[in-house]
Amino acid sequence: MSIPILSLITFVPLMGAVLLIFLPKERKTLLYGVALTLALFVFVASLLVYLRFDAAEAGPQFVEKSAWLGFGIQFHLGIDGISLFLVILTTLLVPIVLLSSWSYIRVRIKEYLIFMLLLETGILGVFLSLNLFLFYVFWEAALIPMYFLIGIWGGKRRVYATLKFVLFTMFGSLLMLAAIFTLSSLFFKATGAYSLNLFEQARMVLNPRLQTWLFLAFGLAFAIKVPMFPFHTWLPDAHVEAPTGGSVLLAAVLLKMGSYGFIRFAIPLFPDAVETFLPVLSALCLIGIIYGGLMALIQKDIKSLVAYSSVSHMGLVMLAVFSLNVEGTLGAIYQMLNHGLSTGALFLAVGILYERAHTRAIKDFGGVSKQMPVFSAFFLIAVLSSAGLPGLNGFIGEISCLYGIFAANKVYAALAVTTVILGAAYLLWMFQRVMQGPVTNEKILSFRDMNRREILYFAPIVVLMFWMGISPGTFLGKMDASVTAYVQRIKGRERVFVQKAGPPPAARRIDVREELSR
Amino acid sequence: MKAAAPLLPLLIIVGGAILVFLLEAFWKRTDKTPLAMLALATVLGSAAAAVRLWGTGASAFGGMLRLDDAALVFTMIFFVAVVFTILIALRFLPRHDANFGEFYGLLLLALAGLMIMVSSPNLVVILLGLETLSVASYALTGLKRDDDQALEAAIKYFLMGSFASGFLIFGLALLFGLAHTLEIPALTAAFAAPQGAPLLGLAGLVLVLIGFAFKIALVPFHMWSPDVYQGAPTPIAAFFVVGPKAAGFAVLFKLVAPYAPQALRSQKILTVLGILVALSMLVGSLTALRQRNVKRMLAYSSIANAGYMLLAVLSGDGAGLMFFLAAYLFMSFGAFGSLIAMGGGGREYHELEDFAGIGFRYPWIGALFSIFLIALAGFPPLAGFLAKYYLFSEAVRKGLMPLVLIGLLASLISVYYYLRIIVFMYMREPEREVELDVDNPALYLVLFLCLYGVLQLGLFPGNILFVFKRALGSLIL
Repeated sequence: MSIPILSLITFVPLMGAVLLIFLPKERKTLLYGVALTLALFVFVASLLVYLRFDAAEAGPQFVEKSAWLGFGIQFHLGIDGISLFLVILTTLLVPIVLLSSWSYIRVRIKEYLIFMLLLETGILGVFLSLNLFLFYVFWEAALIPMYFLIGIWGGKRRVYATLKFVLFTMFGSLLMLAAIFTLSSLFFKATGAYSLNLFEQARMVLNPRLQTWLFLAFGLAFAIKVPMFPFHTWLPDAHVEAPTGGSVLLAAVLLKMGSYGFIRFAIPLFPDAVETFLPVLSALCLIGIIYGGLMALIQKDIKSLVAYSSVSHMGLVMLAVFSLNVEGTLGAIYQMLNHGLSTGALFLAVGILYERAHTRAIKDFGGVSKQMPVFSAFFLIAVLSSAGLPGLNGFIGEISCLYGIFAANKVYAALAVTTVILGAAYLLWMFQRVMQGPVTNEKILSFRDMNRREILYFAPIVVLMFWMGISPGTFLGKMDASVTAYVQRIKGRERVFVQKAGPPPAARRIDVREELSR
Repeated sequence: MKAAAPLLPLLIIVGGAILVFLLEAFWKRTDKTPLAMLALATVLGSAAAAVRLWGTGASAFGGMLRLDDAALVFTMIFFVAVVFTILIALRFLPRHDANFGEFYGLLLLALAGLMIMVSSPNLVVILLGLETLSVASYALTGLKRDDDQALEAAIKYFLMGSFASGFLIFGLALLFGLAHTLEIPALTAAFAAPQGAPLLGLAGLVLVLIGFAFKIALVPFHMWSPDVYQGAPTPIAAFFVVGPKAAGFAVLFKLVAPYAPQALRSQKILTVLGILVALSMLVGSLTALRQRNVKRMLAYSSIANAGYMLLAVLSGDGAGLMFFLAAYLFMSFGAFGSLIAMGGGGREYHELEDFAGIGFRYPWIGALFSIFLIALAGFPPLAGFLAKYYLFSEAVRKGLMPLVLIGLLASLISVYYYLRIIVFMYMREPEREVELDVDNPALYLVLFLCLYGVLQLGLFPGNILFVFKRALGSLIL
């Protein structure tokens, strides 16, 4: 590999953002053209990665590694079966979101596009980093563009929502930073060398009590991002206030940073602590599933309904992650992609409705499908995908999640099934109230159906929903090796202390009390 | 001539200062730009002389003045700070009723004081440098003679500063009684003696530390600083936040670092300093939260930042301290430079409400200020984050986890108040008429240099940390 393709994918959006600064702000078509071209270029590049991706290889591929700042801080990118499709999901959704913003964003278009591209760089960096420091850098860097996106183009309570979003996330991440310091320091004390390389760190055997603290720090950061109950309160606010494009990326990709963080970092680094906390974590997931579903039922605003449905769905994903078996983890990753597509599509649909009605309250709608038959079909597919209808993607994801959970704990699985029931209830009820029945609001009579641009960006998502529902093998096949290796690593637990030279000594445990008093 | 080489940087600065004063007195001109240029040339000449001393470990006056590499690193930080100050003051002074050539002379004198402070191992010489700095600073604070706020600030600064000097001198007297010398290495040795130091000696050390805590505005000795920073002309406030603090920390580092390798609890003094760190970080951040005036907010945030720097001193992390100072130099001058842009037509607009809508009406100022604020808040990949990262990770390695957690909490609080300015700039509709000073090339030069510094130090600091480490190796503790 001569071309550093992962760097290319990560940094082309950033370069695009810099380029946009120097373009005139009145030339809307030019600005969109440049942004869209670059976003599509990144998407094509990520497809190339997919094509050349070796499904049999479990470890990271296309690895780029170079020294950066010293102290074990390396520029270290790589992609494996766990991150591959999350990257493609991101690169696919950004052009779609840009297209959807054409008529929604009326002011400050240039700045909007700049922040979108910056956000893309941040998210892709999170999914591709294999160095703890680099990961943290991208993790935080992704926060800033989202802060502006909600704060500038959001609704009435945007400032409150965006500050809440930033402060919640920062609180978790700063604790994670403290944990990263500790890991770096422990590694140095044990080996005499600096390293923040994920794989070297994961080979370190830590005292369970120390693991507990570190896991809590990492876990909190990720749990806030997912968001897991009871750290979810920022999500409905952020979603309701964010512009459509921001909502789509927030729900479809940013939340996945949290669940991805668990799979990539928190669980491999602190397996003993995860096992200790499994009952608590699972209970939180279950509460999230049921609570999110019930809250979604009573929402009056379509957007906050979708937001609460995210809480419920992500609860299922996290419960599957915590099943710690191959089926559950595969299902969780698959469901992350599904949720990205279906929730993304739902938010796009809400955006389309909002552009016409300038309201999102369910009671203001009714009988829209007569006026907008094409939209009605698209919206229905998105709703059914989210509700998990067989033949669509959501079904495969939910079934394999539940299968994994069932293998781990039957009671959890029984409770988790409620997500399917509740999901069908609140989504179909919402669809019925909005799209069917008599027209109650005269404004609806003036609605135009989806135009060509809207069909253009909605269609790929719908195609993917069918594709992922009918032939999941295309996708699962590439994940299998990495996920199996991941589960084996956790279950196997034959980790030894890294040593610079000589035969590896027997696993040494670090006593937390000794550490703290030193 | 050879013997004078170590003195040359200092002599050039003092000579330049005197020349500026004389020209101001006898060459009546309303345009003070030539004097500013002279001051700039002086600083650059001195920098050239200083660079030649790198790696030589030159000393003068029998070791009373020692220009080791560590001193040179600090000196370079001061040079950059003074150059930035002169450039941002160029248009500011005539527009704000403070068109005095003495400004540049006093600034050079303050610079001389700073240089003396960091390049001497002897506390008496350090005290001399400190007093040179202080006298110049008092005058600089009160430069706007007709402004009540400035006068109040100057008097407060003078009274508090003198009071602190009293503590310092009394402490020095006690220390001299202990060791019969005021060389820092000898003092360290006296304290490290197996029988331990006598109580009076310890009292002396504490008094000296209190004196310095006053000068660098650590909580609870900070009460004067927000008023002074707010009352002083903005370019001077920018200088105060960086220059004197850097010098104070350089001295504190020499005093405290020898004790740092040992565990915290075995040294009561370090515990006390730890409390100062925690208080400075928390009180600084929490009070900044309540401010409506951005200049005052930055003043409080500088107290919190002083807390971080003291943490570096406590963990004996000289390279981290220097890196933090270098990063802080760019971030702080960037932020204060943006504040200077927020003033046109003889008035300054520093209330939060004045910033409403600035981001879109003045895109460059808005974007630059936002970047500096985000850097100060410690977001990657900018310099502020890396500086905190180095500093905190070293502190964790030294077992100062509780202080690091408090520091991270303070950072979280700081995120709120820094971002709130951005909220006003980009997310609020303008309510008031403000006049901006946008046509100011020297200011833009500083802002873009700061931007460059913030990015370069945040993304590709290269081996700068190792250069700092090497420089510290030359320090005799």
